[in-house]
Amino acid sequence: MNKVLTLLLAFLFLSLQHLSAQNKTITGVVRNAAGEPLSGATINGKGSTIATTSDAAGKFSISLPAQTRSLEVSYVGMSTMEVDVSGKTSVEISLKSGPANLDEVVVVGYGTQKRGEVTSAVASVKAEDFTQGFARDAAQLIQGKVAGISVATTSGNPNANTQISLRGANSINGSSTPLILIDGVPGGLNTVPPEDIESIDVLKDGSAAAIYGTRGTNGVILITTKKRRGGNRPATMNYTGYVSVQQIARKMEFLNADDYRRLISEGVRGFNQNINPNAPGYSNLSGTNDEFGATTDWFDEITRTPISHTHNLTLQGGNAQTSYTASLNYRTWQGIFLRSDNSQVVGRLDINHAMFDNKLKFNFNAINRSRKAFDLSYNNTYRQALIRNPTEPIKTPTGAWYERSVYMYDNPLRRIEETESENKGSEMRLNGSVTFTPLKDLNFKLLVSDVKNNGLTGYYETFNHRTSVDANRPGTASRSASLSRDQLLEFTTDYSRTMNDHRFSVLGGYSYQYSVDEGFSANNSNFTSDLFGWNRLESGDALAYLNTNAPYGSIGMNSDKEDWKLIGFFGRVNYSFKEKYMLMASMRHEGSSKFGKNHKWGQFPAISAGWRINREDFMKNVDFVNDLKLRVGYGITGTIPNSSYLSPDLYNLGGRMLYNGIFIQSIQPGSNPNPELRWEKKLEWNFGVDFSVLKNRISGSVDYYRRDTKDMLYQFSVPVPPYLFPTIWWNAGTMSNKGLEVLLNINPVKSKDFNWHTTLTFAANSNKLVSLTGPPGSSVLTFFTAGGTGEPIQESTHRNYIGEPIGSFFGYKTIDIAADSTWIIEGSDGKPKSLRNSTPSDKQILGNGVPKYIVGMNNTFTYRKWDLNINLRGALGYQIMNFQRMFYENPKINQYNMLKTAFDPVYGKTPIYADLAYVSYYMEQGDHVKLDNVSLGYTFNVKNSKLFKGARVYVAGLNLYTFTGYKGVDPEVNRVGLSPGLDERDKYPTTRTFTFGTNINF
Amino acid sequence: MKKNILSITALSVLVVVFGGCTKLDETIYDRIPADQFVPTEKDIPSLIAPVYTNLRPMHASWHGNFDLQEESADIIVTPVRPNGWFDGGTYQRMHEHKWNPVQSQPNNLWAASYRGINLANRLIFQIESGAIPVSTGKENLVAEMKAARAYYYYMLLDNHGNVPIVTDYQDVSLPKQSTRQQVYDFVVKEFTDNIPLLSDKADKLTYGRFNRWAAKGILAKVYLNAGVYTGTPQWDKCIAECNDIIAAAPGRYILEPDYKSPFRTENQNSKELILAVPYDEILATEFNMHMKSLDPVQQAVFSMSAQPWGGSAAVPQFINTYDPDDSRLKDTWIWGPQINATTGAVAINYTKHLNGIALSGSDQGYRMAKYEIKQGARAALSVDYPLVRYADVLMMKAESLLRTGKADEAADIVSQVRERAFRNNSAKAKVTGAQLQMGSSYQYGYYNTNGSISELQGGADIPFGRFLDELGWEFAAEGRRRQDIIRFGVFSTKIWFNHRPAAATRQLFPIHENEIIKNPNLKQNPGY
Repeated sequence: MNKVLTLLLAFLFLSLQHLSAQNKTITGVVRNAAGEPLSGATINGKGSTIATTSDAAGKFSISLPAQTRSLEVSYVGMSTMEVDVSGKTSVEISLKSGPANLDEVVVVGYGTQKRGEVTSAVASVKAEDFTQGFARDAAQLIQGKVAGISVATTSGNPNANTQISLRGANSINGSSTPLILIDGVPGGLNTVPPEDIESIDVLKDGSAAAIYGTRGTNGVILITTKKRRGGNRPATMNYTGYVSVQQIARKMEFLNADDYRRLISEGVRGFNQNINPNAPGYSNLSGTNDEFGATTDWFDEITRTPISHTHNLTLQGGNAQTSYTASLNYRTWQGIFLRSDNSQVVGRLDINHAMFDNKLKFNFNAINRSRKAFDLSYNNTYRQALIRNPTEPIKTPTGAWYERSVYMYDNPLRRIEETESENKGSEMRLNGSVTFTPLKDLNFKLLVSDVKNNGLTGYYETFNHRTSVDANRPGTASRSASLSRDQLLEFTTDYSRTMNDHRFSVLGGYSYQYSVDEGFSANNSNFTSDLFGWNRLESGDALAYLNTNAPYGSIGMNSDKEDWKLIGFFGRVNYSFKEKYMLMASMRHEGSSKFGKNHKWGQFPAISAGWRINREDFMKNVDFVNDLKLRVGYGITGTIPNSSYLSPDLYNLGGRMLYNGIFIQSIQPGSNPNPELRWEKKLEWNFGVDFSVLKNRISGSVDYYRRDTKDMLYQFSVPVPPYLFPTIWWNAGTMSNKGLEVLLNINPVKSKDFNWHTTLTFAANSNKLVSLTGPPGSSVLTFFTAGGTGEPIQESTHRNYIGEPIGSFFGYKTIDIAADSTWIIEGSDGKPKSLRNSTPSDKQILGNGVPKYIVGMNNTFTYRKWDLNINLRGALGYQIMNFQRMFYENPKINQYNMLKTAFDPVYGKTPIYADLAYVSYYMEQGDHVKLDNVSLGYTFNVKNSKLFKGARVYVAGLNLYTFTGYKGVDPEVNRVGLSPGLDERDKYPTTRTFTFGTNINF
Repeated sequence: MKKNILSITALSVLVVVFGGCTKLDETIYDRIPADQFVPTEKDIPSLIAPVYTNLRPMHASWHGNFDLQEESADIIVTPVRPNGWFDGGTYQRMHEHKWNPVQSQPNNLWAASYRGINLANRLIFQIESGAIPVSTGKENLVAEMKAARAYYYYMLLDNHGNVPIVTDYQDVSLPKQSTRQQVYDFVVKEFTDNIPLLSDKADKLTYGRFNRWAAKGILAKVYLNAGVYTGTPQWDKCIAECNDIIAAAPGRYILEPDYKSPFRTENQNSKELILAVPYDEILATEFNMHMKSLDPVQQAVFSMSAQPWGGSAAVPQFINTYDPDDSRLKDTWIWGPQINATTGAVAINYTKHLNGIALSGSDQGYRMAKYEIKQGARAALSVDYPLVRYADVLMMKAESLLRTGKADEAADIVSQVRERAFRNNSAKAKVTGAQLQMGSSYQYGYYNTNGSISELQGGADIPFGRFLDELGWEFAAEGRRRQDIIRFGVFSTKIWFNHRPAAATRQLFPIHENEIIKNPNLKQNPGY
């Protein structure tokens, strides 16, 4: 069973009906328009809670009260059909595909809702619409498929996650990551493997997310894992597996050995110390690039063609009372750099049991995830490979690592080979729920969960590691352990009732969450044997003070602990009249331990309404409109600070003081207390329209939103004195976001053999930092700085001005190059001047690193047994600071290798020869469209097979081609936070992935 | 309906049960909540410690006071190197006196000073109010905190001049600016009032802290520069403070027979140190001036556990002023071939010449090695950083005598200080009053890429220029040159290396833009 069964979820929340004594059994088969059996279609007795699903052959059997007259048959992606069964015992059902399935169920906060009745901005992506092939985590599955969600894959490290943000930057302190719930329990994007996910639902606007109160500001992503629901069916087994290879998205062209030799022979400055020993800059030992006799492609030496495997086995079975889903997922992923890897085993068990005529239902879910990775600072290793002289050999003739004593200049291969690392983690999630349904349509549900995350890392630099040799410190080992535990208890009650044309449902609940993080780490050095690694930490001489290179105290030891609590009471009312007018109102009263004594609690109300215009009488004759709904919603959500203990008056430990001959521990003020610290709140309006026209061939939705963040948390700089500490956490500012999101589903070609379905998404967001006001008496800030270049430029990169969007690059605007190869900038008076004579007032806003527009296009073509998916997505209207060019496209830092373009004329005149500088010349347009995912699949005909119930193979390519003018590795760089748009110099480069995969049902 | 009622009752019960869990107090594990911390007398050392540990990042650390005083003066320069050191032009602005209100070095000093002041204010309040119980010596402890606070105000007086004076911890209003004269008066009064209450001992317990003599040493410095601060010199007052220290010296302080003693790794026992900032390579790791000066290849020479960064070097014109027999040259700088400790090969050969601030070779310039860099040195040195040493007291007295017409008396003292530097040539140690009244031998002028000097000014016209030279040789790389050349009228008038004179208003640093934003009461210093 590989098909999605979401629909059934709805019925779990509907009332139970007393089974009548007299039953009748109806059997049948469900097929699609092409006559192929549909496995996993939901068959529901109209007016009852009895439901089943079709098997792999599309067959079903359902026992219904004798008076039942019709069946409701639904299937994801198809129009729900009502079939008259009065007097029948067997039916053949042919479902028509319909992109706008208004009866499809979407998961919303603490429940589900029919899509047609949804009044807020929510999006739902089912498994069959997920990105095919290699997926790093859940976010990559829906990349480009939900309007308003920006998912960026900014790193090629197999241990890195994607970056996800929704509807712009809404906070300056908090993260931009949405709340992620795995079957209702907080988790992460990589908590469950992508293969185990049934659907991903996204609550985008405040009216939908407010039921989650304080955690909902960045939206909520609800991940539903694959489950078997109800029905007497034979057990099924599903295997999915794929193998992937990768290559760097784009290789930066550095000078190779031949280039070096040519430049040396040409006497280009910096390249041969013997050319002009008395001239400036050349007359030194280590400041020039020399010939070292070898030819080495350092990038090739540290990279490989990585091969990654993923295998997933899912077993589902049971009967009407008890069903189970068990899955095992194994993966071993390699990165493009040698030894860079990540392997993981995830086991999951989900058991559902119903008793007392379904009045009592139990769910038990356990997920255990164990992962292991090799990781070292690959960013710096990558840099070392880029900057290394390509005429240097890897090893000396005697087999030792070849090294030269140059500033921050290490043999990159040695860094990889002489380091041992093991990052292990395990996550154990246990959750269970009991649902009691004493009356029809009344449910009491108690959910408890316990999530434990253990981390254990080991790191070792061998005797032959450069640091060990240079510092005369044989072996450095460290070990660290961490434990975080998150416990959740939620009790909800819901009741729904239909009276004639009126339908009500009411939800109330209580939520208690407790989270604690603890950690310990230790390190030691100067070992007697290279064999122990980190496994005999106590044996290093640094602990025993045995030699001067390892004085007592050079070992390290740390431990820490932090916890927090979150308590909420919530309620929601839904009302619908004739399924024409819909109203939703909710309220959450929530408290967090992280706030000041006087402001622990906050209120998060929401209200939304919908009007299905096409159900009005006056629309009756408008045939081409299949659905038209207006929505309006308003909701308040909150943001909690990332850390605990921001409001109390704390002492912390400071440096040690020499007191009477010994260094004693000092105690000093650790923060400015702020008992008034309170919730940061986001107020959001959302206006939307859902439509479906031309026999559902074109459908979609348009949403406009306005978000105002108030009481924004900011770590304000304050004068000392009168303050104790130079910063204070303060509810300091306001920010606004406005945006438009468009989703369009089009079915341009629909025939027996060939079907083309396309989805377009478009999102525009405009962000503005409205104000930033500190504690009483302090000035109103006009800007704050963020980001930095790092050495040797040492400048901040961004200024976030009041009245401007977050993410403005701030620096000197270069306009020309002088005859002496130095920069000419635009001065504050608009006139050209030399960068050397610049003053800080010449700096200006250069651009912005946050895309204004995010677009996506997904095409699905099916032809008989073939299916082809082509996904395009892009980001437009932003700039990128290309740090690789800024650092490497300049021949003045001549002891390191550089880009071939370093010798290209600047502004068509002459190559630059000036100190590295953060200037606009290195800013480029980031606009790009990616041919992101192409997959071609073939489904085998298994009609005559006894073993297989379904089989499909596919090939897929990820991040295949980028249409862009950007010159760096990949324009998909960091877009979130306060200093977006920096293409960091040493970033683990992104990759292109090719996948071959299969999906088999038994 | 009955069932409904039952259910609703059940619901209510559950809500009440869970509703009980609404407590949101924070439990703190790895920090100390102030309201739960009741200090006892044994906590006093730990509580006063921050007032002193604050001196470490302030002085011999990254963009600290060492850089502020040296890079703006004529002994040390940080040119661009093949591995970088442009850093947005910060070192060039320091050298050329083109710093601006966003310059980090002056701001670091401002922030550290006020941090120290605020810590002292809080402790004074806590001790006086009894929040920190002190059974004996309460007023002595308060006096020590007030002396430390006065020291921080002295730093601000010297560098920023017009700064707010805050003494009341409970005053939460935004501070109001005072004039440099007011700050000077405050510093003098605080020291004068509290010195009698300070310990007169000089032992392990007072080491690195304000005893009576450390306070007098700083007060002497305030008087020495009184002419700069207020327009009214206080030479006699300076002499009086120095005399007190000299009189108390027996059994407490000496002029070490070896010039290097106060700069050794284990210098905490040096009797020359009157006030020092204790550093430790493991436990108090902020001292990294050697990292900023040594070339990266020097790691192999000293078998260091960390690779130095390369950068700062001596201005060649200053090196040229040394008498070749002056042992302080080699006790302060390293040059020539540096030998790899393992292979015996030459790792680098430092030249005196530097091409210029815009770009110099990695092997150019004498490197600062005044503070002992032992074999196996780490990224932080254990050398304690002297703020007042006995030689300093002698030289302050000598300068005050010289400037009040007692040149011969001054010469005797200077000769005494020079003696250890010319142990093999004692005749050269001797200077006369007449010599001290001569000009400086520093070849002030613009240093060209080829080593020639153009726009030559020389130093002959500097009043008591020879004494300034003496200060240079004795106190080079001790984070004080700016103060000396301001006092001798060089700072705003002379050309050295690639520096040309800038406005005299540069004698005060700007208040950082952010400080003015945070506190609108503050007015920027003139000229910025």
